[in-house]
Amino acid sequence: MEWAELIGRVAVHGDRDAFRLLFEHFAPRVKGLLMKIGTDADTAEEIAQSTLLAVWRKAAQFDPSSGGAAAWIFTIARNLRIDAARRAVRQARADQPGFIDEADDVVDSPEILMTRGEDVSRVAAALLRLSEEQSRVVRMSFIEERPHADIAESLGIPLGTVKSRIRLAMNRLRDLLDEST
Amino acid sequence: MTINHHPPDELLADFATGRLDEADHLVVAVHIAQCPACRRFAGAMEHLAGATLEETAPVAMKADAFAAIVAKLDELQPAPRADVPPPDVLPDDDLPEILRRCRFGKQRRVAPGLKLQPIILPSAKQSRAFLLWSAPGARMLQHSHSGTELTCVLKGSFSHEAGRYGPGDFDFGDGDVDHQPVVGPDEPCLCLVAMSGDLELHGLLGRLISPFVRL
Repeated sequence: MEWAELIGRVAVHGDRDAFRLLFEHFAPRVKGLLMKIGTDADTAEEIAQSTLLAVWRKAAQFDPSSGGAAAWIFTIARNLRIDAARRAVRQARADQPGFIDEADDVVDSPEILMTRGEDVSRVAAALLRLSEEQSRVVRMSFIEERPHADIAESLGIPLGTVKSRIRLAMNRLRDLLDEST
Repeated sequence: MTINHHPPDELLADFATGRLDEADHLVVAVHIAQCPACRRFAGAMEHLAGATLEETAPVAMKADAFAAIVAKLDELQPAPRADVPPPDVLPDDDLPEILRRCRFGKQRRVAPGLKLQPIILPSAKQSRAFLLWSAPGARMLQHSHSGTELTCVLKGSFSHEAGRYGPGDFDFGDGDVDHQPVVGPDEPCLCLVAMSGDLELHGLLGRLISPFVRL
């Protein structure tokens, strides 16, 4: 069954069996990804739990025509990770008067959420045409947040090549997105 | 609206993966809301992030994790978000939607023809965000940056060596940039700015008035 369909069942019926399947698939992956990019295990567990709770709560807001369930869930986890980091900053400032002590979702507004409709098909078409090599280096650098030296080592290429490959990949992606009108 | 100046790709990627400081995030968000090309680029980054999540090796959750979540489901009510009350008076009548929901500090004059109003962000770490009004034809002081400066034009225009910046345009300045923006002659220019570090003013005049310019 498609993940999007399970999210739909959560939204419409409050279907806990569907939710369990989503939990079993995504929670350990959110935790794994967070740990991979340097979050400690306890915080990663906590954020992964909050992420799935948010999937339940926001299921009705999921747009099946958007970028897909995994991208949506990544976005939720990402926002919770930012919130967690912000809470840490706020706590450090708790003694200072005048700071707002609640998690304002100032920037998480509808107009900057996932790309929609026509945009989505263009994005998907462009990504399909990005070579595996280019896609891989972009993901390692920007999503897994691995240092260039680390990428160089695991791909067995010189450091300078990593930098130019990332640059070329980003330019190529821009071109593909512009092209696929 | 024709947008000619965009954020660097790295900045968009960091935006899409949630790595920007709150003030910087806000300025990029305001640009993206108006720029389909950058929205698609950020969307592509999100797609890649989704694909990465799918392929990540799972790490087992704690044994009681699912039970703990289910216990919370019953307490949950829909629509839990408390909206931030809008400020009594918005600093400008037609701010972008994202900014209309922000809280603003007190407006103040920083130099002749130049006033700013801070945006109160609860957890900005390194950078501050503010609205900046400049009078038509105003010539800013030659300056560079010890940190970074992200600017999105909301109204009017300014120009510097890299070209003319009108509504929706995005300007990124860092320590390598040394410039003297000039505001367009026809109307005041309103910008959203996120700045980290300090401005470094150049020239004799800059050194003389630098203690009085509080940005």
